[in-house]
Amino acid sequence: MITLQRLNRREALRYLGGAKVRRNEVMERMMDEAEQELFRAARPKYLYKIMDLPNGELTPGGDIKRHLDGCSRAVLLCATLGAEVDRLIRVAQIRDMAKAVVLDSMASVAIEQVCQQADEIIAAQLPGSYLTFRYSPGYGDYPVELQKTFLTLLDAPRKIGLSVSDSCLLIPAKSVTAIAGISDLPIPQKKRGCAVCNLRETCQYRRNGEHCGF
Amino acid sequence: MGTMIQKSGAGYRHSPETLNLTRPELILSFHKAYIEAGADIVYTNTFGANAYKLEGSGCSVERVIGAGVANAKKACEGTDALVALDIGPVGMLIEPAGAMRFEEAYDYFKQQILAGADADLIVLETMTDLYELKAAVLAAKENSDKPILATMTFERGGRTFTGVSPAAAAVTLTGLGVDAVGVNCSLGPDELEPVIAEMTRYTDLPLVVKANAGLPDPNSNEYDILPDSFAQCVKALLPYGVKFAGGCCGTTPEYIAELRRVLENERFLPCKKSVDSTVCSASTAVEINGPRIIGERINPTGKKLFKQALVDNNIDYILTQALSQVSGGAEILDVNVGHPEIDEKKMMVRVLKAIQSVCDAPLQIDSTKPDVLEAGLRCYNGKPIVNSVNGEEKSLASVLPLVKKYGASVVGLTLDEGGIPKTAEGRFAIAKRIVERAEALGIDRRDVYIDCLTLTVSAEQDACRETLKALHRVKTELGCKTCLGVSNISFGLPNRELVNSTFLTMALEEGLDLPIINPNIPAMTGAVRAYRVLSGIDKNSADFIASYNDAPAAKPPAQAQENLSLDAAVYSGLKTEGASVTERLLESTDPMEIVNTLLIPALDRVGEDFEKGKIFLPQLIQSANTAQECFEVIKKHLAKAGGESVSKGKIILATVKGDIHDIGKNIVKVLLDNYGYTVVDLGRDVDPQLVVDTAVEQNITMIGLSALMTTTLKSMEDTIRLVRATPALQNPDGSSKCVVFVGGAVLTEDYAMKIGADYYCRDAKESVDTAKKVLG
Repeated sequence: MITLQRLNRREALRYLGGAKVRRNEVMERMMDEAEQELFRAARPKYLYKIMDLPNGELTPGGDIKRHLDGCSRAVLLCATLGAEVDRLIRVAQIRDMAKAVVLDSMASVAIEQVCQQADEIIAAQLPGSYLTFRYSPGYGDYPVELQKTFLTLLDAPRKIGLSVSDSCLLIPAKSVTAIAGISDLPIPQKKRGCAVCNLRETCQYRRNGEHCGF
Repeated sequence: MGTMIQKSGAGYRHSPETLNLTRPELILSFHKAYIEAGADIVYTNTFGANAYKLEGSGCSVERVIGAGVANAKKACEGTDALVALDIGPVGMLIEPAGAMRFEEAYDYFKQQILAGADADLIVLETMTDLYELKAAVLAAKENSDKPILATMTFERGGRTFTGVSPAAAAVTLTGLGVDAVGVNCSLGPDELEPVIAEMTRYTDLPLVVKANAGLPDPNSNEYDILPDSFAQCVKALLPYGVKFAGGCCGTTPEYIAELRRVLENERFLPCKKSVDSTVCSASTAVEINGPRIIGERINPTGKKLFKQALVDNNIDYILTQALSQVSGGAEILDVNVGHPEIDEKKMMVRVLKAIQSVCDAPLQIDSTKPDVLEAGLRCYNGKPIVNSVNGEEKSLASVLPLVKKYGASVVGLTLDEGGIPKTAEGRFAIAKRIVERAEALGIDRRDVYIDCLTLTVSAEQDACRETLKALHRVKTELGCKTCLGVSNISFGLPNRELVNSTFLTMALEEGLDLPIINPNIPAMTGAVRAYRVLSGIDKNSADFIASYNDAPAAKPPAQAQENLSLDAAVYSGLKTEGASVTERLLESTDPMEIVNTLLIPALDRVGEDFEKGKIFLPQLIQSANTAQECFEVIKKHLAKAGGESVSKGKIILATVKGDIHDIGKNIVKVLLDNYGYTVVDLGRDVDPQLVVDTAVEQNITMIGLSALMTTTLKSMEDTIRLVRATPALQNPDGSSKCVVFVGGAVLTEDYAMKIGADYYCRDAKESVDTAKKVLG
C-alpha cells in the first residue's frame, strides 16, 4: 500500500513553464490546493512481477538490450493513481483551466513519486541485487505498443483497473508501465537523457536550456 | 475455471479460452470436478472470449464460445446442473474514461450472446464499469431470453475501480430487468458484508455472492482463506437475500464441496428493498425520501446564449451550466436540448455522455420526442428520470414501454387530449390513469412522479389552489412522488422570486417531492433546505448547517479596486475586478476601442511574459480567463445595443481520432476564446469526417488539430488529407480553402509540413499568433 507524500513543487513548476520562472504566491497557493485535492482523489496502486532474462518478447530493439545488459532478471512494473484523478482533472478543465493544468502537472509528479516508492519496496525484496533505473515503453526505440503486453502479464486491468487504449494511451492517464533490470553486480550508472529521448526535437525544456529530469 | 487452468499448468498460446478447442477433455474434467463437488451451475470457459481479446488468436468468437458451451453441456449430461454462458469485461475501458464507445461494447457482447445461445443462462461478471455492464445487459436482453445474473467487482473501499457504488449498481441493474445482482471476485467473503448489505437495501432481487478465496498475494497469487472458513463466511451473508453462492479466484472444487455441505440445509431468504424510490448515476444514488431539487437550467427555452451554444456545438457551455447548478444545490439535473436547428437526438446523446463524464448528479431526460428519449435512455449510465409522459393515449403508448425497458422513473403530466383540466379532480383523474397504465406494464408506482402543472397566477388566480389540491391528493391517495416546475407561477408579475419561493414553500407543505427550479437562486434552494429542517427530514439540521455555515459574509463592494486598470486586472488574473472595470469603461468608451486598445494589448503583454519565462502557464490561463469575463461584459453590452458581434472569426478545434488526451487543445481553446475568436470545439477522439462536415456546414476555414501520441499522428494526417480532398472546402482552382494548424507533444515542424499542415504551433501562444496572422 502506497500513500502519497508531499509532492515536489519544483518538478511540477518545471512542467508549468520552466524552473527559471520565479516562484510566486499565486502558484504556491494553487499548488497547495491541487495537492490537497489529489491526496483526496488518488488511489495509488502498483503491481510488479520478476521475469527471467533473456526474454525475446519483452526486449525487442537495441536500446532495451543495452539497458538490461548484464542483468539476469528484470522486474516489470505498473502503477496508477486511479480513475478519480482523471475525473478531477476533467472537471477542472470545465470549471477552471488554470487549476486543471496545475492538477495535471502535480499528478504527473505524484505518479512518479508512487513509482519511486514502488522501486524502494521492490529493491527491499531483492537484497544483494542491484536495480537499473526504470525504462518505459516509448523510450528510445522501445515500442510503446509493449504497454499492452506489460499490462496483460501483470493482469493489471483486473487487479488495479489499469488498461491501455488501441492507440496506446494508458487509462487512467496518470499511470506508468516500466521495466528495470536486476543484476547481481553493481550497475555502472547509465545515463538517461536527451540522447535517447524521442521528444528531443520538440522538447520545451531543451528549448529553454533545461532538462526534464529524465 | 481460471484457478483450475492455472493449477493444471496447461499451456495455451493466446488466451485460456482457446483451450475449449485445443484441450476440450481438460475443460470437461474441470466442469465435472465442480459438478461432483455439488455445483448447480457451471460457468463456461468463455470469460474473455470476445472479438477484442481473441484478435490474433486465429479463433473466432463463435468457435471458442460454441466449444466452451458444448464442453460444459457435456459435463452436465445426466445431472441437474445448468450451464451459464460466462462473459467478462471486453478488456478496453469504456467512455468517458476510455476510448471504447458504448455502442462498440454492445456489439462485442451481442456477438458473445449469440454465440452462446445454447447455454441455460447468462452470467455477466467481474465488471468494474456500470456503463459497460449496461451495454452487456442490453445485448443480453435484446438477443436472448435467458435469465441474467450480473455481478460487479468492488474494492475494499466499497466502490469499483471506476467509482461505481453498490447502491447504484443494484438500482440500475434492477431497473434493466436482470434476474439477480451481486458481487464476484473482489475480496474474500469475510470482507463483502458492507457491499452486500448496501445492495440488498436497494433491490428486491436475489443476490449473488461469488467471492475470492481471500486476497491474493499481489505477486505470488496465493490466497489466504481456507474452504471451511470460506463457506462459513458465505453462510453468514444469506440473511441479506443471497440466493446464488459460489467461488471466484483461488477457489477449487474443495471450496465448492464445503460450500455445498454448509449450505445444504439453508433456505433462500428473500429480502425486500428498504429504500424509497431512487434514481442514480453510476456513482451516486439519490433516494426521493424528502424534497430533492431538480435543476432546470439545461434548457434552451427563452435562453439566447443556450440556443447559440446548441447550434455551435458548444458542449462546454452546457457542462458549465451543469456544474454550477450542482454547486448551487441541485441534486438531479433536467436535460433538455430541443431546438429546431439541430439534430436533437444526436445532441441529447452527446450532452448526456458529456455531463456524465464530469458530474455525479442523476439526470432527467427531457424531450417531447420518444425517439430522443429512447436514445437518451440507452446511453445513460445509471437510472434516470424520463420527462415526460402525459395522459394522451399516444404518449402513454409510446413513452411508458421505454420507461419499463430501460428501468427509469418517469414524470407524468396531468394533461391529455382535452388539455389541462381546470379542476384538481380532473388532474387527479389523469394522474390515476397514468399510474394504472404504468403499473399494467410492471412499472412501480413509486417510480412515477406526477406533475400537477403550475399555471400562471396572474392569468388564472384560482389555478394555483387547484394545482396544490391535486398535488395533495396524488401524494396521499395514489402514493406517488410528485414534481412541479415552479417558476411559471409568477409569469407577468413583479418580484417573481418572492412569488416563486412562496409558492414553492406552499407546494412543499402539500407534499411536493421534486421541485424543478433554478438552484442558483439562493431563495429557492434555501426554501427547500429550510423546509427539510422544519419538517424534520434534515436530522439535526446537519445538511442545512453544512450548506450555510461556511458561507462567506456578503462582500463589501470592491472600493479598493476603484483605480485598478484593465491591464492590471487582466495581468493579475482578477476576474470579478476585470468585469467591473470593463463595465465602468463602457460608460464612456467605445466597446471595440476597449477590445483593441486595452484588452488585446493586455493579453499580449501576458503572452510575451509567458514566452520570456516570466510567468507560469496557469497564470497565462488565469489572465486569459479574466479577459474572457471582460469580453462577456462587452458582448452583453453590444447585444443590448443590437450592434455587431465581436467575434474575429470561427475556428474548429479537435483532438484527433484515437487520442483522448486533450488538455493541450483545451488550453489553446481558452486562449483563442479570449482573443475574441469563436471556437467550435469538437472535443477529443474526433472522426475526420466530423471535422470536414463541421467545416462545410458552418463555413469555417481555419482548423486546429492536436495529437499527443506518435500512434495518433496518423489520424492527424488522415484528417488533413480528407480536408484537402473535400471539394466543398476547395477554391475554384482546386486549392484548399482551409488553413490547418497543428500541435502536440510529439509533433515537429518538419513532420507537420510533411503531413500537409499549414502551420505548426508549439504552444497555445503560437496558436493565437497564427490565428492573428490568418484571421486578423
